[in-house]
Amino acid sequence: MRDLMGDLTGRIRHRRVNATEGILAGIILLYCVMVAAVNPAFLSVETLFDIVRSSSTAVIVGMGLLLVMLSGGIDVSFMSIALFGSYVAAYAMIRLKIDSLAFAFAVSIGLGTILGLVNALLVNWLNLPPFIVTLGTQNLFHGVMTTFISDKTFGAGVIPSALSKFGSATLFTLKTRQGVMGLTAAVIPMSIAVLLTWFIVSHTLVGRGVVAMGNSPESARRAGFNLLKLRLFAYGYIGALSAVMGVVYISQVNAVYPNKLVGSELMIIAGAVIGGVKDTGGRGKVLGVILGITIIYLLNSTLIFLGLSSSWNNFFVGTLLVASVGVTSWQNRRKNRKNLLFTE
Amino acid sequence: MKRFCSLLVFAVIIPFIVFCPAAAAPAKAPSEYKVVMIVKQSDPWFDDMTLGIEKLKSEMGINAYVLTPESGDPALQIAIMEDLISQGVNAICIVPNDPQAILPTVKKARDAGIIVVTHEAPGIASEVNLDVEAFVNAEFGALMGDAVGKAAEGKGEYAGFVGGLTMDTHMEWYKAAVAAIKQKYPDMVNVSEEPFEDKNSIEVAYDKTVELLKAYPNLKAIFDCSAHGSGVAQAVKDKGRGDIKVVSLAIPSMSASYIKDGSMVHGQAWRPADAGYATCYAAYLLASGTAVSTGANLKATGYENIKVEGNIAYGYAPLVFTAENIDDFHF
Repeated sequence: MRDLMGDLTGRIRHRRVNATEGILAGIILLYCVMVAAVNPAFLSVETLFDIVRSSSTAVIVGMGLLLVMLSGGIDVSFMSIALFGSYVAAYAMIRLKIDSLAFAFAVSIGLGTILGLVNALLVNWLNLPPFIVTLGTQNLFHGVMTTFISDKTFGAGVIPSALSKFGSATLFTLKTRQGVMGLTAAVIPMSIAVLLTWFIVSHTLVGRGVVAMGNSPESARRAGFNLLKLRLFAYGYIGALSAVMGVVYISQVNAVYPNKLVGSELMIIAGAVIGGVKDTGGRGKVLGVILGITIIYLLNSTLIFLGLSSSWNNFFVGTLLVASVGVTSWQNRRKNRKNLLFTE
Repeated sequence: MKRFCSLLVFAVIIPFIVFCPAAAAPAKAPSEYKVVMIVKQSDPWFDDMTLGIEKLKSEMGINAYVLTPESGDPALQIAIMEDLISQGVNAICIVPNDPQAILPTVKKARDAGIIVVTHEAPGIASEVNLDVEAFVNAEFGALMGDAVGKAAEGKGEYAGFVGGLTMDTHMEWYKAAVAAIKQKYPDMVNVSEEPFEDKNSIEVAYDKTVELLKAYPNLKAIFDCSAHGSGVAQAVKDKGRGDIKVVSLAIPSMSASYIKDGSMVHGQAWRPADAGYATCYAAYLLASGTAVSTGANLKATGYENIKVEGNIAYGYAPLVFTAENIDDFHF
């Protein structure tokens, strides 16, 4: 039993930064040097702070995605959940005239968790691929919201001030020649999500169970794990994190739209896959996801520094993404060959 | 039996065919004209348009009303049109989600003798009875350019956004704005030949603005041809760069607080209520046999003296928001 467990969860135990993460870090570094060479204005603490702010939402939800993908599943409804939770929270706050950030997070997380559990139950009962199930619930959740709750847009000035203040809040600010800069307060929920996920994956039995299930559901079941409970945990977890992300998002945007977020899932899934999370389950790291998402946001927020005109955007970002995926996959294959593994 | 049936049907129908035109010969009262507006979806913009059509109904007595699809799906608009064709209304007005997609249905309606008038669909103007536009796009863009030049006092660098490079109206406004700035404020420099894209998202507008501020520290003004300039204003505010003037297409429900606190110096749009009023009134005129040509008065603010070119009726109805007037609008 112990041996089996060790084997099933062994891959996650290596704390050492593995090849994928090393290569991603190398690509990021190389790219930064290149941008800085073209435009020295890129090299500043402010740039770092700005990237943290714009990628904070993706990192939060990316942590939930990691857990679901480790379990061998996938969730494409997380943006719908994020929208549902945050929209309902903001709507309730506007209608009931409650101006409290804690209320927003509490309502949103509560709803998000419930919707995540619904996903888990459906995946478990219908025994269909999670992709199909969550594609369905993505539309279902969004539809329930716009049909039965509201489909109104709330702009700046209407949305509760606790939210807009949080969106612009910084932990500290510095005055520079170019104006004020500060580290966004969204770094708090982001750090909590990252640390909590890291802890769950590498230090708890349920985390190891999720990894075991991703590697081989049958073996995990025989090892004594309850697959339904593991699924409930994984999908509930991403539901809760999506809901947190939703509140951070509407705060940063300072507006509540009934139709945003949904449809932008793929970029985050791409970030996770680039970061070395295996889409068949059982393998993936917190650091990898962070680096994968960083690459995507870095590429998208440096085009102006490089002086590229807008029509080059998609071509440039696409090329670099394919290149970085190519390099990591090549590296993996080389490593596998070295270990006499010829699976791919 | 079969023959008897068809005879019966004819016996019932023929008097209608023969006597109807005779009954319609004396001028019909406005209330006998059924003019239906199909909007895109329910949102503050089209809710305001509905107000305009309700006003038309109460002022002119025309039997005009609005049908709202559940979502912005082009197929829903087509289904409503089909329904109206079988009901035999006098005129259908539509703000199409996808102008090309409604063409077959437009043809069917016109074959049935129904007047079809579009709004915001100049691309298919030749296929409908009339398309009504709030303004010539170049004039609207020039107005935005003037505002940029005035706000920046005619000096320094500026940058412009559009929703996307493929969005025709945004690009027309952008080009007209840049041309106006070049002509009236020759000392101003556009930092990029091509506009930046905000992808119709406040988030992207914010992130790109933050990057622009670092890449071009001497920027004096930014304008946005999409209604997501509130992201630009928020970024300028967060970065403490009150010296940068933000000019944008604006919707009061989204931009009011930025216009009031000055982080957006100029917001412009057009009034959906007036556009809806003018579109339906034009449809009524056409249905009652009155031609709509240059100089016609569509009775709505900005559409008193329209210009008709290539089946498109242009008003001049730009609406400029100020801190004082923005609370009067609810769209």
